[in-house]
Amino acid sequence: MNSHVPQAVFRRGRLLLWGACLALAVALPLVFKSGFMLSLLCQIGIMVVFALSYNMLLGQTGLLSFGHAVYFGMGAFISMHTLNMIGKDGGPLVVALLPLVGGLAGLLAGVVLGWVTTKKAGTTFAMISLGIGELVAACALMFPGLFGGEGGVSGNRVVGKGSLLGFTWGPQVEMYGLIVAWAFVATVAMFALTQTPLGRMANAVRDNPERAEFVGYDTQRVRYLMLILSGLFAGVAGGLTALNYEIVTAETLNAHTSGVVLLMTFVGGIGFFYGPIIGAILVTVMQIVIGGMTQAWLLYFGLFFLFMVLMAPGGIASVIAMQRNLWQAGLFRRMVPHYLAVALPILVLLAGLVGLIEMTYALLAGEGVGAGDTATKVMGMQLQLSSMEPWAIALATTAVGVALTRWIGGRTSAAWNETLATLHGDRT
Amino acid sequence: MTAPAIRISGLRKNFGASEIIRGVDLDIQRGERHAIIGPNGAGKSTLFHLISARLPVSAGTIELKGENVIGLKPFEINRKGLSRSFQITNIFHNLSVFENLRCAVLWSLGYRYSFWHRLAGLTDARLRADAVMEDIGLAKRRDTPAGILSYAEQRALEIGITIASGADVILLDEPTAGMSRSETDDAVALIRRVTEGKTLVMVEHDMGVVFGLADRISVLVYGQIIATDAPAAIRCNAAVQEAYLGTGSHSGHEP
Repeated sequence: MNSHVPQAVFRRGRLLLWGACLALAVALPLVFKSGFMLSLLCQIGIMVVFALSYNMLLGQTGLLSFGHAVYFGMGAFISMHTLNMIGKDGGPLVVALLPLVGGLAGLLAGVVLGWVTTKKAGTTFAMISLGIGELVAACALMFPGLFGGEGGVSGNRVVGKGSLLGFTWGPQVEMYGLIVAWAFVATVAMFALTQTPLGRMANAVRDNPERAEFVGYDTQRVRYLMLILSGLFAGVAGGLTALNYEIVTAETLNAHTSGVVLLMTFVGGIGFFYGPIIGAILVTVMQIVIGGMTQAWLLYFGLFFLFMVLMAPGGIASVIAMQRNLWQAGLFRRMVPHYLAVALPILVLLAGLVGLIEMTYALLAGEGVGAGDTATKVMGMQLQLSSMEPWAIALATTAVGVALTRWIGGRTSAAWNETLATLHGDRT
Repeated sequence: MTAPAIRISGLRKNFGASEIIRGVDLDIQRGERHAIIGPNGAGKSTLFHLISARLPVSAGTIELKGENVIGLKPFEINRKGLSRSFQITNIFHNLSVFENLRCAVLWSLGYRYSFWHRLAGLTDARLRADAVMEDIGLAKRRDTPAGILSYAEQRALEIGITIASGADVILLDEPTAGMSRSETDDAVALIRRVTEGKTLVMVEHDMGVVFGLADRISVLVYGQIIATDAPAAIRCNAAVQEAYLGTGSHSGHEP
């Protein structure tokens, strides 16, 4: 059969892709040398592992969890306590292996809690995961000895003397190297898992649990095993976060963290292995970069999430996959002018909206309150918020943006539908 | 003599106050092709659900190859060599045809919940899935997601998943429902081919299929079996004619 030849090519292509991603991750701090960029990259590396572990449940097994931060947080706390326990007896090698301790903690938490949560799938699972998440978060505040109360537990990742191949993990760039190494190993392992009997049966259980039972599989066991393994990788991410920030607070295992990982995984695309990687990168960048620029970042993120759910429920990965299909069918070039054409009105619309939101925020929350005639700084501009002028401009921009987007967007979607019809026509 | 493939005695099933299966006794020998017919609402699908443990029984016993299987879970019964299809197509919609079939063979080949085997390296699973795919005529659709197959193709895949594990007792619930004449003929040929040497129990409305395939036929009316016999004898049976063939609304094709 000739199907083996493209498979071999495909496999080589996949190896190249993995290699390129690793090379990029290693090269990035050479280009972006600032401390800000470095800590951003570190956070991204940790979140990639966390989001991928979450998608083992949501995308691969069809389990919507509202309490995945529990495994992340347990990994972080146990790693931190272990770090503090080994103290001066340890060395850089022990520190480098700490995320494994975090992983084991996450795995154990999965063994204990998963036994309860995975009894049922669907809504029941979602509700129990929410309940357990709240329970553990409440416990975190009740046992300050273990979880450090409000202040959290802190430690120092530079322990003992000497170094491991020259690494002491003290400088942030060395920590970044450790994160990249762990993230790469964890990502490869999680991808490999999707190519095993358990990984495939998790998909089967997601698609049709009844059928899975009638081909000999205990669906409860499949869900349980997937949750345990997912806990393992979430715990590794937790161990990395403990080392990276040298402090772990109760927030690492609360509902907010569970919510963030859900959102980034969903935005990235749960139907593709690499979806959560994109989501983790994008949301972390938004969180830190936009979060650093404006107080209203959560509002923007909410709008963005809404937009994604409505326009591309398959996430960014599905959009990319779609463009790749078009490309392979030679139809991508046909769409490029339309993409460019629709980008302009959307930018206008965004500019208007951002202006309105920022001015409103400045007026309600900032120095603008009652400031009357004093100029307020919004987006780097001195604006007189008490006068009509800036508001009128922002409103007009938004209105023009809406009108243009509707007009050109209508044409774009018509072209899109036509291209899709051609694509499907070509196939059959 | 070896124990029958399936032995049902005193089987009852009630949903609340209404009794759907009202004392069924039935022996199905190994290697037999057995059809269960009866009017709508007679309890045929319920009987299948009881045998395959999709529903718990209210009373009575079911033995599979001499072994009591009451109280076992569906996957446990499947592991003992009983496999079934469904009246409403029950496949893995997002997985390709090939993946559907490979999922169906993994347990019987002993891979269990393994996360240390690479699927691509499991030659036996691939060959078995490919062979079944060839058998059910879906080789051309190997990488097509099962959810976008045509209805007849999905029905064929349903049968493929059912037989792929190599189970020796096969339950087919209305395998040709909703098919055109020519699709039905193909399905009958397929069923005949893939159940060679196995025990087959099927629920079917199409009398052409029933009388063409079955060695013996049981007639189920209001939760009770009123006759079990060879096709020719069933056709002449007065009680059956009265209860079902003559007056029933599902007489379909009489041969």
